[in-house]
Amino acid sequence: MSAVTTSSLKRDLGLVAWQIRYEQRAYWRNRGRGVFTFVFPLMFLVIFASLNQGAHIASRGGIAYDAFFVPGILAYGVIATTFVNMAISTAILRDQGVLKRMQGTPLPPWAYVMARIGSTVIIVLLMTVLVLALGAIAYNVHIHVATLPGLAATLILGTAAFTALGIGITRFIPNAEAAPVVVNLVILPLTFISSIWFPPDGMPNWLVQIAKIFPIRALADGLEYAFDPRTVGAGLNAQDLRTLAIWTAIGVFAMLRFLRRPQGEVSGGSGRRLTLGSLWTRT
Amino acid sequence: MTTTHTQTDGLAIEVRDLRKAYGEVEAVRGVSFEVSRGEVFCLLGPNGAGKTTIVEILEGYRTRSDGEARVLGMDPAHGQRALRERVGIVLQQCGVQNDLTVTELLEMYGRYQPRRRPVDELLELVELGEKRDTRARFLSGGQLRRLDLALALVGDPDLIFLDEPTTGFDPGARRHAWSTIRSLCDLGKTVFLTTHYMDEAQHLANRVAVMNAGRIIAMGRPEELGGRDLRPAEIRFSLPVQWSLGDLPDMPCEARALEGDRVVITTKDPVVAAQRITTWALDHDADLGHFSVSQPTLEDIYLELTGDQRENVSTEEVVR
Repeated sequence: MSAVTTSSLKRDLGLVAWQIRYEQRAYWRNRGRGVFTFVFPLMFLVIFASLNQGAHIASRGGIAYDAFFVPGILAYGVIATTFVNMAISTAILRDQGVLKRMQGTPLPPWAYVMARIGSTVIIVLLMTVLVLALGAIAYNVHIHVATLPGLAATLILGTAAFTALGIGITRFIPNAEAAPVVVNLVILPLTFISSIWFPPDGMPNWLVQIAKIFPIRALADGLEYAFDPRTVGAGLNAQDLRTLAIWTAIGVFAMLRFLRRPQGEVSGGSGRRLTLGSLWTRT
Repeated sequence: MTTTHTQTDGLAIEVRDLRKAYGEVEAVRGVSFEVSRGEVFCLLGPNGAGKTTIVEILEGYRTRSDGEARVLGMDPAHGQRALRERVGIVLQQCGVQNDLTVTELLEMYGRYQPRRRPVDELLELVELGEKRDTRARFLSGGQLRRLDLALALVGDPDLIFLDEPTTGFDPGARRHAWSTIRSLCDLGKTVFLTTHYMDEAQHLANRVAVMNAGRIIAMGRPEELGGRDLRPAEIRFSLPVQWSLGDLPDMPCEARALEGDRVVITTKDPVVAAQRITTWALDHDADLGHFSVSQPTLEDIYLELTGDQRENVSTEEVVR
């Protein structure tokens, strides 16, 4: 029995690997949706870094603006490629009926969701490499080996939180046309108070307190901490990581809630099961 | 190790007293039928009659409120993979990954299946060979519909659900789709079809169930539906002005009437009646115009059966 289970799991993981390839192919072919979410953060990096060339941040012990902004834009890049991209593309796939079609195939729903997440992780990795390379080459931002654990931990938790939240929020997106609006309504205001574009210096305390509730500031702050030349130790910012961990839990909960459909209508049914049901139907 | 689902009864689908309620509205109100293996079974009915609800319950997309349903011996509500591996689905409106090509899509969906039909064979079957490297985004509506069919067949299913498969087709494309569907039957596949086209049901189905307002109101072979084969025929013609209805000879008939300038003879013995009329006409040198003999069409029966269309409106609005 277990031999059968193992081999079918192996086969399904093989399917996940194949599905990731197809998801990647589709992503890079769609210039409007895919590539631009990718190009946006890089564009902002070049613009903002050029505007603030040679500037220093007094409140942070006079560190170069670039050392603040490169991790800030990396945080924005992670959010754009996970949360924004996942929410918009999931809403489109739902509206077009692709999710419904996928549910009718033998591919297990978990395998499909896993492949979509896997494909997103590849995009995040690429984004990270590009931003860091651009930051190192053009803006002389150094990655400290000592604080790499902090950088990695923040990136991993941030990706997990925003990917899960991206799927979960689709529930609140009424249709695909509304998706960019809803997503930006959630993201944009928060980026301005969350230490992405500029340090939150001189910001009213109540705004700071609001920003601290949400994961954008935690992600940006955690990355900035790892990049700050004054940071000693492994670069692990406990408070930011805790916030991200909590939001990862919230995200996974929202995602699973969203992917599950109650089966209570059939007597003797199998209770609840993972399905793409609620992604496509509201009945 | 593995559970084999053997069908001793030879039934592909078995439905008993199936019900589905959306809130207060009952979209399906106690429906029962059986579909044999290798049969083409057609659900015919106006929009909002409950056809799609039934299909989607059988496909595992919706749960039933009450009643029994078995598809290839399995309960579709459990959504087993074993069932999805043996069923092909063409949904009414359903997109694909737009940025992949036809060939890539057939390969991708094929990978999910334990047994699969070769891509080239599928392309040939639905005549999409020329579009094999075209992204789905650039296909026409008819081509997408054909891709739908190819994707439903990719796992070489035993049972195929076709929910209004030819809606939006031009007459030529429809004929072609029909011959494709018939070729599925030759392969021994069971086809479960919904349509609101009478001619489609007539051409394809071994048996038709007519639905209205959540119920099956008639079921049978298309040529026998609603006692169609037992209904009286109608003989129609126009009489020259100097003759009237009373001048016609005796003949076996249920009724003779005038509809405008046309005489309508309703008769269960159209051969004898027609012979009497034509003999009389020749003897009296009466030039009968537009002479025709007709049985009621499936459409006549259907319209008679579904009668009051307004009853459906509320159901449809709620389902949407």
